[in-house]
Amino acid sequence: MIDPFIHAALLMTTPILLAAIGGLVNRVGGLVNIGLESMMLAGALVAVAVSAATGSALVALAAAVLVGALIGLAMSLVVTRLQANEIIVGLGFGVAVAGLVRFILKSAYGVSGTFNPPGVAMLPRLAIPYLSDIPVLGAIVSGQDGLTWFAWAMVPATAFFLQRTRAGLRLRATGAAEATVRAVGLSPLNIRDASTAFAGAMAGLAGAHLSIGVVGLFNEGIIGGRGFIALAAFYFGRNAPWRTALGALLFGLFDAAQIRLQGHGAPAELVQMLPYVIVIVVLTGLGLADRGRPSRRSL
Amino acid sequence: MGAAILPIFSRAAGVAAPFVLAVAIGAIVLAATGHEPLGVYQLMASEAFGGERRIAATLTAATPLLLTGLAAAVAFRSGIFNVGAEGCFYLGGMVAALLGFALAEWPPILVVPVALAGAAIVGGLWLIGPGILRARLGVDEVVTTLMLNFIAIDLTSWLVNGPLLVRGSANSATAPIAAGAELPRLLPPTTLHLGFVISLALVVLYGFWSRLAVAGFRSRLVGLNARFSRAVGIDVPATFLRMMVLSGLIGGLAGGIHALGLVHRFVAGFSPGYGFTGIAIALLGRNSAIGIFLAAIVFGALSSAGATMQLFSDVPIEIVGIMQGVVMIFAVAKLGFGQARAARA
Amino acid sequence: MIDRARVATRLGARKVTRKFGPVVANDRVDLTVAPGTIHAIVGGNGAGKSTLMRILQGVDSPDEGGVVLDDVPVRLAGPADAFARGIGMVHQEFMLAPNLTLLENLILAREPIGAGGLIDWRAAQAQADRLAALAGVALDWRLKVADAPVHQRQILEILRLLYRGADVLILDEPTAVLAPAQVAELIGLMRRLKSEGRTILFISHKLDEVMNVADAITVMRAGRVVATTIPAQTNKAQLAQWMVGEPVDFRNRAPAPRPHGDPLFSTRRLVARDGRGLRRLGPIDLELFPGEVVGIAGVAGNGQDELVACAAGLGSIVEGALSFAGADFTRATAARFRAAGIGYLSADRAEEGLCLAASVCDNFVAGREQDAAFSRAGLLRRRAINLGAERALEKLSVRYGRLTDAIRSLSGGNQQRVVIARELERRPKLLVAAQPTRGVDIAGIAFIHAQIATFRDSGGAVLLVSEELDEILELSDRIVGLYRGQITGQLLRSEASVEKVGRLMLGQKAA
Repeated sequence: MIDPFIHAALLMTTPILLAAIGGLVNRVGGLVNIGLESMMLAGALVAVAVSAATGSALVALAAAVLVGALIGLAMSLVVTRLQANEIIVGLGFGVAVAGLVRFILKSAYGVSGTFNPPGVAMLPRLAIPYLSDIPVLGAIVSGQDGLTWFAWAMVPATAFFLQRTRAGLRLRATGAAEATVRAVGLSPLNIRDASTAFAGAMAGLAGAHLSIGVVGLFNEGIIGGRGFIALAAFYFGRNAPWRTALGALLFGLFDAAQIRLQGHGAPAELVQMLPYVIVIVVLTGLGLADRGRPSRRSL
Repeated sequence: MGAAILPIFSRAAGVAAPFVLAVAIGAIVLAATGHEPLGVYQLMASEAFGGERRIAATLTAATPLLLTGLAAAVAFRSGIFNVGAEGCFYLGGMVAALLGFALAEWPPILVVPVALAGAAIVGGLWLIGPGILRARLGVDEVVTTLMLNFIAIDLTSWLVNGPLLVRGSANSATAPIAAGAELPRLLPPTTLHLGFVISLALVVLYGFWSRLAVAGFRSRLVGLNARFSRAVGIDVPATFLRMMVLSGLIGGLAGGIHALGLVHRFVAGFSPGYGFTGIAIALLGRNSAIGIFLAAIVFGALSSAGATMQLFSDVPIEIVGIMQGVVMIFAVAKLGFGQARAARA
Repeated sequence: MIDRARVATRLGARKVTRKFGPVVANDRVDLTVAPGTIHAIVGGNGAGKSTLMRILQGVDSPDEGGVVLDDVPVRLAGPADAFARGIGMVHQEFMLAPNLTLLENLILAREPIGAGGLIDWRAAQAQADRLAALAGVALDWRLKVADAPVHQRQILEILRLLYRGADVLILDEPTAVLAPAQVAELIGLMRRLKSEGRTILFISHKLDEVMNVADAITVMRAGRVVATTIPAQTNKAQLAQWMVGEPVDFRNRAPAPRPHGDPLFSTRRLVARDGRGLRRLGPIDLELFPGEVVGIAGVAGNGQDELVACAAGLGSIVEGALSFAGADFTRATAARFRAAGIGYLSADRAEEGLCLAASVCDNFVAGREQDAAFSRAGLLRRRAINLGAERALEKLSVRYGRLTDAIRSLSGGNQQRVVIARELERRPKLLVAAQPTRGVDIAGIAFIHAQIATFRDSGGAVLLVSEELDEILELSDRIVGLYRGQITGQLLRSEASVEKVGRLMLGQKAA
């Protein structure tokens, strides 16, 4: 009874985790990415379209990564080279990309809202023979798709990257002391742009997971605000990969719980509201905990 | 004389630039999908401004934007990044619609003010939470107000589908408001209603308030430099809270006017993003009264033209959304025209 | 192959001229720094030293004339180019990443790479230890820069230049943030580097240090070189005269009358924390009386900021009490402080003393917009405000265009005068003055000092906090030492000297 729930929770965590890791790296580099939702949306659409066109989930993922990274780069350039406020640009990209996606659906595919082409190749689930029979553990490790494994592998990978590699050190410096980085001869803006492109790529993957990993089609509401929930996760995680993953898992649990509760007669909308309420509760908790340190603007 | 003209020219260019870019990018998107940009834009222009009825339609479309733009501007000017006007709009609209239906017995001269007041109050109350969180705990208001939008939309959706569903009415909508609660039309048979005048009046009032009022002066200083303001004795947290609540009041009122003036009820999907568009309007207008007015007209034109354009061409209305997004993106970019700083300096 | 040790000019300037609009920042400046020497550049604010340094470092380029390197005229393409040629600079505002450790900052952008392309931390630590030994200093390399004391950060900056292969080191006011004993440590470091054949160019206006350590001295004033000399052939008074252009009197104020009556301001076992929650101040007992200037002597970061904040009503008090004019103000708001008669000259003029984006008039009236004189029924009375502003600014000889001009268009000295005008117009009883003459030209400094003295003479109390020991010595009637948040002792004006105050600043008895 609990196994399907655990399995679902992990499944729901994956897109949030992917996007949150991307957002985390972005924020370490000094940019708070409010536009993750738009990159996820684009990734979801591209994945479905390419998957149906080529029959290959892998090519679809690659396409989603590419599109996400491009949107991320575009957004970053506006922020770094045109010195625009990252919050507004993020929101603006959200509006523009959402419009563009609906526009393309209508113009190129003649559909409105939902895009369900035939022949969509889904992400394969990987069953692990003996482990799959063990209760709880089996639900956790067996039957997940490759992206879920990838997402969790990225957590230690990101921690390692930040602390032990040259690029990680430079990224950390860029986020906290742009002038210093410039003074030692590096280009902080380039570094920041690269981190945003990475965030976009991860968000693209996250969107692809939702469309070709879970649902099997594209709907303009498919992301459902998860880009903002990923934002909450990396706020919760405060630039620490494992804490961020914990936040993502927490929200994934709620996401799965939400779907379960709906089936049992609880009002749909109230349950849908839960993650957003949690975000506010988490932020309030952090605010109260931070009381001894009144310096804000931790953006 | 030349020296005085140049900065004005620069500023005008700075404000126009995002639109120019939006037009350009829109043209690219149109061309890429097989439409003819010039023809589309001509059609848009004539749909927006061609004749008295079209202009009235544009003004009607601009009405909610005047106040959501004002709501955003009031907050931004004080250094508060309130992006929650959309949620207030929903709540305000719902409350006004409910009161407009429930108070059917009352004389119109009372129902309208009471319903609008209720709409405003619920909007203001809704943002007290994030206001306090920012004022007392320094919790970033962008994320909290953003979340409250989604919560408000889901909340009103639940209310209107469940507990407040009136027997016999369509799903996902409240009962229609009483005829006496409707805002009178200004120019029948167009849908232009009194709400436009009310909204315009408030924007004008804001223009005077920001220059002449003590509170206007203080909130501007807080927005420019909160640390300085504190050092000279201004109560910064109280200012944050007040401006946030004021922003919510205006957002709620915007929704109420929309419900009483145009839609005459509350429905799910009440707002196609008026609150978010308001953000772009405040930014483009640089938080000034004139700027808000002009930007609201332009966005209203875009949206009304887009709506009717769908009837005459196969261009999806979403081209408007794309252009709006582009405007938002470039409204805060330093495009080299010596513009004033963005909302957050 | 040039033998760097044998050239006449390791680094120099030939007839360098640089203009910014009508202002001539550098006027045909000639400079010759011999290899393996310590060369000092002295001059007051606005003398053109910073501009010259920027040109020597490649950040800026001259309108006329040029930079000379190893006797050869060169065109520096930028700071990276200058660095490639061995010229490195330590600025007054350190270029360090606060969230990284000292070690990480040292190696940033030149990280030693080990197996698999990862950072070789062992090699990095070895290099760090080697450099520290060379300099004769001990640093805690695992500390985050944000947690490290200021003088360690400065040493790190210098070591970083060495790590990256700089051979000519330009130090801009390196001792501004150091106590006398730490200055001695830095001078030792400079001498050690010189003995290794490196060349040091250092900017200072501390004539004692210059006379102590420099091999050659260049004096600048108003963009020109007015003298080039060596310590053996000059003295402090002569240098000062070159700097200012007229004889400077070092000790010329009459001692103030002894304070009497009840204290105007007092603290009892006051403990305060900084913006990050750490206890930085206290417990301290301090009293101020009307009609005296109390100068707080201490190295930056020893609790002065927290003391100033508490006195202005902007602090975070953790324990103890603070009272003013007999009433308890421990939990009072800044507004109440100001209403009761406490004025505040912030050390951070740009971010706290002024609202740079606002107009001159707005900056003057800020905080008083609701006064009966300036408003009625919630509306501003613009005419009254403008009139009040004009009169007050006139009293302080502020040079500005129109009241509506943005205040950032005024010079530093004039900006500070606007701040003083605003604070003094409120007729405060106590003035909290933190770094009151920072970024102000010489004439402005004299004016501001006179204003403070006049305020004191008319019965006001002044809490003065300054990094300029000279300023403390000149203005204070009483000097209180602050070290690690504790009061270390007190000296009256009549018994104060640089040595005694220096000891106070480092927690040693004033004896």
